Amino acid sequence: MFLSQHDPENVTRILFQDFPVWMVVSFYIIGFLAIGVFLYGVWAQIRKYRRGVRSGAWSPFWPRFKAMVATVLSHRTIKRRAPAAGRMHVWIFYGFALLFIGTSIITLDQDITGPFGVHFWYGSFYLVFGVVMDVAGVALIGGLLYMMYRRKWLALPKLDYARPDREPGDPDYDRSWYRREDWAFLWSLIIIAFTGFLLEASRVVWLQGDPTVWDFRWHAPVGTSVAYVMMALGLGPEGAGDLRMGLWWFHGILALTFVALIPYTKVKHIFTAMGSLMARDPEGKRRMPPADVEAERIGINYLGDFSDKYLLNLDACTKCGRCHEACPANAAGYPLSPRDLVLSLREMSGDKLSHASMPEGPIEVIGDGVNMIRPETLWACRTCAACIEICPVGIEHLPMIVEMRRTLIEQGEFDPMLQPTLKSLQKSGNSLGESARKRPRWTRKLDFEIKDARKEPVDVLWYVGDYASFDPRSQKVTIAFARILNAIGIDFGILFEAEQTAGNDVRRVGEEGLFQALAEANIELLDSCEFKTIVTTDPHTYNTVKNEYPEFGGNYEIEHASSMLERLIREGKIPTPKNLDYRVTYHDPCHLGRINDGAEPPRQVLGRLGLDLVELPRNRDNSFCCGAGGGRIWMAEPPEMKKPAELRAAEAAGIDGLDILVVNCPKCLNMMEDGVKGTGNEGNFRVMELIELVEEAMGLTDEPEPEGDGDGTETEQVGAA
Amino acid sequence: MKILVTVKQVAFLDDEFEMRDDDRGVDEDFLEKDLNEFDHYSVEEALLIKEAAGDDAEVVVVTVGDEDADDALRTALAKGADRGIRVWDDALAEADGVAIAKVLAKVVEREKPDMVFTGAQSADFGSAVTGMALAGLLGWPHAAVVCNLEYSAGANTATLRRELEGGLEEVMSVRCPAVLSIQLGINEPRYASLRGIKQAKQKPVDELSLDDLDLDSVGSASRVRRMYAPEKGQAELIAGSAAEQAKRLAEIIKELRGM
Repeated sequence: MFLSQHDPENVTRILFQDFPVWMVVSFYIIGFLAIGVFLYGVWAQIRKYRRGVRSGAWSPFWPRFKAMVATVLSHRTIKRRAPAAGRMHVWIFYGFALLFIGTSIITLDQDITGPFGVHFWYGSFYLVFGVVMDVAGVALIGGLLYMMYRRKWLALPKLDYARPDREPGDPDYDRSWYRREDWAFLWSLIIIAFTGFLLEASRVVWLQGDPTVWDFRWHAPVGTSVAYVMMALGLGPEGAGDLRMGLWWFHGILALTFVALIPYTKVKHIFTAMGSLMARDPEGKRRMPPADVEAERIGINYLGDFSDKYLLNLDACTKCGRCHEACPANAAGYPLSPRDLVLSLREMSGDKLSHASMPEGPIEVIGDGVNMIRPETLWACRTCAACIEICPVGIEHLPMIVEMRRTLIEQGEFDPMLQPTLKSLQKSGNSLGESARKRPRWTRKLDFEIKDARKEPVDVLWYVGDYASFDPRSQKVTIAFARILNAIGIDFGILFEAEQTAGNDVRRVGEEGLFQALAEANIELLDSCEFKTIVTTDPHTYNTVKNEYPEFGGNYEIEHASSMLERLIREGKIPTPKNLDYRVTYHDPCHLGRINDGAEPPRQVLGRLGLDLVELPRNRDNSFCCGAGGGRIWMAEPPEMKKPAELRAAEAAGIDGLDILVVNCPKCLNMMEDGVKGTGNEGNFRVMELIELVEEAMGLTDEPEPEGDGDGTETEQVGAA
Repeated sequence: MKILVTVKQVAFLDDEFEMRDDDRGVDEDFLEKDLNEFDHYSVEEALLIKEAAGDDAEVVVVTVGDEDADDALRTALAKGADRGIRVWDDALAEADGVAIAKVLAKVVEREKPDMVFTGAQSADFGSAVTGMALAGLLGWPHAAVVCNLEYSAGANTATLRRELEGGLEEVMSVRCPAVLSIQLGINEPRYASLRGIKQAKQKPVDELSLDDLDLDSVGSASRVRRMYAPEKGQAELIAGSAAEQAKRLAEIIKELRGM
């Protein structure tokens, strides 16, 4: 060894070593061509998004940028509910990112600072660089191999793009092109990575006589290991030189082609996902998009009605299938998959908005044509927000669906059963076809008076809500809640016949004009009353008053009954003399558990009542909707269909020795009781509201136990404070 | 080509209510008001004809009523009617169907429509007389309880089906112009979104008095003397579980048999 012959501080890799000039020139021409194709594609995509309505969703820029970078670097959203795939995506992401940065550093050294005589890609930096690149290459290949395994051998149903809502043979049935694209993506990237290592190895074999290469060969550990294999197979320096030349061009052209095609293929998710995450509205699941009801049109009817953000959302979809899997409508066999909805719209916007000129006239989005969204698809949605919650790239399916429903409502394209409901809401402010005067009639069953919050100040204003006021089963819960509040001396009142539905489901069904009228009337009423906080047993009311009323000037402090009960028990204000000895499970209402982070208080209440809580497989943010939301409770479920509530009841029936399925929402109560009957579980377990359990634990119930031989006398009330 | 549709803002009774002090009607506080159910269908039928005519037709909705009745007009306008006419005079406060028909006949003379649709009856008073009286006053043909209509805008005749008792139907031809009283179920009325109803405020509504129609008075042929809830008969709604219901039923049977 002639150590003196070279200084490790000067070692580097000679680019284009032994290349004739024409080859170098050719390479640069190809390189610039690739960059040109890439930039044109990027421009065409941006032009497509800019053909949507400007949303301003990316401002304020820097806070949104920082939040997006944190999400991308941590892979927080990709790891959710698919931890293995998430981890492997980390490998691919960091491997790819490091290799990209590495290539950029070489370009910087060679083409940008180099011409000015500034070089830094040598010596110890170069040596560390070599090791890092090899590790990155291994990570990339490892991740890609796992993804190939996942697609081929795990055969996850959510990665099957065949559409349950189309017939085989329909042009948009199985989207086989997407499947081929997925594989092309995986194969091309893995071939680029493999040929990179082979190229590195062939260079080591080729230049084994050059100590500036050979002595530092272990700074390319993977390439050198491969080099030893090559030499063992009899490859000499000369053959390796030829091999290196061939591989160099193959690797180079494949990599440049890959770069050029980024904006035209699924690879663009690198950018679109970041843009989509940046524009993500954290309130998107809680608050439906504002709308000017005075405008000539409302909602989304044409492709041009989509905002730039929604158009970008469509391109960000990576077809991961999490929403497809989470959607209760899809699970029950309804013709809706949030993924397919997004992909249909993506196809349509790609077809119509990607060209230099736009098609003449407005492009209808809703209809029966290929890639159009069918009305029955939009009506299948329960607005449970499971899709928007789990989407790793921040797609906001739900607001898009509601916007399209607004068009259907204006056009009268909906289930005939919905019309009497909407008329009843217009006329008397409730969805049950009852007169406004009947609303407080449940209070007659109480042996005490409830204060009229319109006439006297109260601490707590109880917003009762539609189902809680009128539905006979829910009335029992409403009465129980009144008894609890009365028993512990809470100063509370209700709005009696002046209360109208808060409008959560009216808005989600798409009747925006009616929603706004209800919101304005309710806010005017609330503002005329004196109270400190609002409480409601209805998560739908809770969501709308909390998150949507501020848009109309109604700012109130509102608590869901379960949080209030949890607080009162914790503070010792609710005495719980009786420990309840039941095995229970808890069904999270979407509007509480998933949409408003209210999963824990009800569980704490159950714990404090001494109940044995066994969780359902899908719980908290992954809870499975009962099927009532978004106005679906007002529409007919075709008898041949499974109901989401039946799927949920079957899930609960899987729990050994279950006594009670606990619900926490009047609409869930209604749906789950049906679901339990529909699955033949009526004798196996009961459906009860959390409030009823608290009432029982407080000893306030006046009904004898169903199987007991109670004498039916009224249990005495716990003394009011 | 013009179709005139007469509509009414009807009252709905709550299941608990109080009578007016003069005992000739229900206290207004206990009434909720809305467009007559039958009129949703007559308006829809007119709109379908208008749409089939390529919008080369005008649908005019007319009501006799005070300001409250504007809601009924606006609902019809939101669905697609072109303009509205509301006739009111305090002298009409207790007008019966025939008196209303006299007013409407004047409106028809003024508007000269090719066809008049009314609802088969009003959901609150249900006398089903207005359309018939209107046709009589105009000397036009009339068909009641029309459940199917073949008529294209501007045609000289219309072919229709009427519901008869006992599930029978008859097919009729009428000379136009005619007055047709439209039955429920003839079509599927469209929904008027609240946004549409609000925006319908921009559509023209003529407010006419009896003077405008050259009417001095319209003397009703009948007068309500008293309105009351008759004594309840022996009916009882049995609530509770199946076992409880059966128990109560057994008690009643025993009671009636004097056991």
